[in-house]
Amino acid sequence: MNLSYPFHRRTRLRVPLGIAGIVLVAACASTPPPTAKLQAAREAIAAAEQAQAGQYAPSELSEARMKIASANSAVQDQNMISAARLADESSTEANLATARTMDVKAQAVNAQMQQSNATLINEMQRSGGATP
Amino acid sequence: MNTKVQLLTIRSSLIAAAVAAALLAGCASTPVAPEGAAAARLKLTRLQSDPTLADRAPLAIHEATAAVVTAEQPEADQSLAQHRVYIADRMVDTARAAAETRLAEDQRVALAAQRESSRLDARTREANAAHYQAEVARADDAQQKLIANAATDQARTAIAQGEQQRLNAETARDQAADAQALGAEQKRDADSARADAATAAANAADAAALAAAGSARQAAELQRQIDLLQARPTDRGLVLTLGDVLFVSGRSELRAGSSDHLNKLVSFLNRYPERSAVIEGYTDSIGTEAYNQGLSQRRAESVRSYLIAQGVASARLEASGKGESNPVADNASSDGRQQNRRVEVIISKSEVALL
Repeated sequence: MNLSYPFHRRTRLRVPLGIAGIVLVAACASTPPPTAKLQAAREAIAAAEQAQAGQYAPSELSEARMKIASANSAVQDQNMISAARLADESSTEANLATARTMDVKAQAVNAQMQQSNATLINEMQRSGGATP
Repeated sequence: MNTKVQLLTIRSSLIAAAVAAALLAGCASTPVAPEGAAAARLKLTRLQSDPTLADRAPLAIHEATAAVVTAEQPEADQSLAQHRVYIADRMVDTARAAAETRLAEDQRVALAAQRESSRLDARTREANAAHYQAEVARADDAQQKLIANAATDQARTAIAQGEQQRLNAETARDQAADAQALGAEQKRDADSARADAATAAANAADAAALAAAGSARQAAELQRQIDLLQARPTDRGLVLTLGDVLFVSGRSELRAGSSDHLNKLVSFLNRYPERSAVIEGYTDSIGTEAYNQGLSQRRAESVRSYLIAQGVASARLEASGKGESNPVADNASSDGRQQNRRVEVIISKSEVALL
């Protein structure tokens, strides 16, 4: 009984410590890399490039690229929480790049239409001046 | 003993919990208001309160609103809080861009309608302008037609005037010639006739002036009558040639039914009673000169008698036989001889000269 006591005491101490360690690891990092989020970010960037964001929203696109590069670095560093957040930020930034590209394009089309209309009206008034 | 062991167990559990709590505290600090969340909320509010944008990207604005709400939640983890703020900020920006895009697309409908209306307007104006130009062209055309017509009229008038002047000049010239002839005759009779001739010449000049002043209608009528008569104007006057068909060969009596030409002469002389006529008979060279002279004289007299019978005053008519003289064609051929057998009636053109 006496002999067994110290052993028993050590075992009883080790179990809660193990639990605490697991809780700690689970709280600070998820072990698998955020593959889906990284994939989503890559797709969002590809969509932005397809929409010619490189021409119409270059700063947003380059930030999205920087974010995904950082996310990949975080995966390398086993910092999966950070990697997931950076991947999300990259996706969001790429989406913004696409939205701003669409906006700029739409405004350009409207401006062109307005100019064309103004030209038409102008021509009309000129030719109208010649006709009584 | 059992109690002691239990106590120890509780103590060790407490220690483990304390360690875990301390370690957890290391991951997250005390809860504070997330920095930047307010700025994201402000941007979102501005977007939502813009009447032109608020309804134009409902899904994007809904997602942005959720992101902002998440960002606003108190979070001890600074990194997570900043991440959420970042996401919320970009999503609000994205929602605004989407709403602006949609607004532009909606405005495009109005712009297209404006363009269509402008084009329609332009086409209407073009059509009106074309119509106007066509009318101007038509008016021009009509005006030019009028000008052309006027020019044609003027040309006609000029031609008529030219003709009239020609006739007047002819008349005047004939009258002058007649007056000269008369003057010469009088000169043969008596020297004193010279004065008369001079007077006659003066009268002829006056007549020329008068004739020149005469109306175009009279001149035209005269010309028509001359044409009817088939007379040709010569220096001696209007010469009407009556062919030998009037007479049976070797005889001086007029053939019956051959007087159509003579009737025209009668009507002409009746129309212009102030004119006198000299009837000259001619023959070909066949036969003796004396015979031909006699024959031509008789034939001329025969015509004169006919005219007198038709009511022309005998004082206006003079007959003379010219025999073989003044042939108009070669007597070597029968054709030429036929042409030489003729009676010529010379109608004076001068009314005044004979007065």
